[in-house]
Amino acid sequence: MANVLIVDDSSTMRKIISRSLRQAGLPVDEIFEGGDGIEGLNVLSGKSVDLILSDINMPNMDGLEFIKQARANGCKAPIVMITTEGGEDILREAMANGANDSIKKPFTPDQLQEKLGGLL
Amino acid sequence: MTLSPSVAEATHLNEEQVAGYIITATKEVFGTMVMMEVADAYPLREPVSAFQCNVTAMVGFAGIYSGIISVNCPLPLALTVTSNMLGMEVEDMCEDVNDALGEIANMLGGQLKMLLSKGGLDILLSIPTVISGEEYSVSVLKEDDSVIIPFTCEGLRFLVGLKLKKEG
Repeated sequence: MANVLIVDDSSTMRKIISRSLRQAGLPVDEIFEGGDGIEGLNVLSGKSVDLILSDINMPNMDGLEFIKQARANGCKAPIVMITTEGGEDILREAMANGANDSIKKPFTPDQLQEKLGGLL
Repeated sequence: MTLSPSVAEATHLNEEQVAGYIITATKEVFGTMVMMEVADAYPLREPVSAFQCNVTAMVGFAGIYSGIISVNCPLPLALTVTSNMLGMEVEDMCEDVNDALGEIANMLGGQLKMLLSKGGLDILLSIPTVISGEEYSVSVLKEDDSVIIPFTCEGLRFLVGLKLKKEG
């Protein structure tokens, strides 16, 4: 069973992602949440996380900076961007900063399962 | 209420095509994230000058285009949308309603950005802004360079509006 960190400034979206992970039947144990990159880094400093799902467009610290700092701090967990920001350049930057994959919002539980099944 | 000529020229799209893209995006967002079917009533038969609503969620564009995409919704529908997205009953106006409608505007903004942007770095999306109140009208919908699309959902009407300008 895996611990998952969801970083998104929308509490609604965090709940949808959390529910979708369960609906997709993925082997999820604890789910931690952060409302921006700073909160995400705070979670990583104190918790063991096996998968990170992060938005890009967030206040205070966006997803691109968050994953860059997470990798710089030694985080080895797979990172998947879940975002409305589907442009090639921005996703290329995300991959360069340490992301492993991306999922476009809106998404279905099946799409989550397809993308995340191999990572958990 | 028409698509800006500069936007039409830059995108090689006419108003009907942009409206069609917004309609498809709205139906996809509601179908997958809200679990509700919506029907569009485009084109508008008469100008929307005094649409009474309770919640308006907006996301701004900046960069090679500037503008706003907005979702204007009556409270009963906003409560149903929020309840569906959260998987729990929401009966009164609260922060969850603002967040849920803001996220819908955010997803629609992202879809529009995909249409307008070459790679994703030439247009920035703002963090959603949400206005809520007992009753107000949205005056920006009366201005030019706007595309307004009425939708119905469970017998209630809501509007998605796009006001867009080409920069540079």
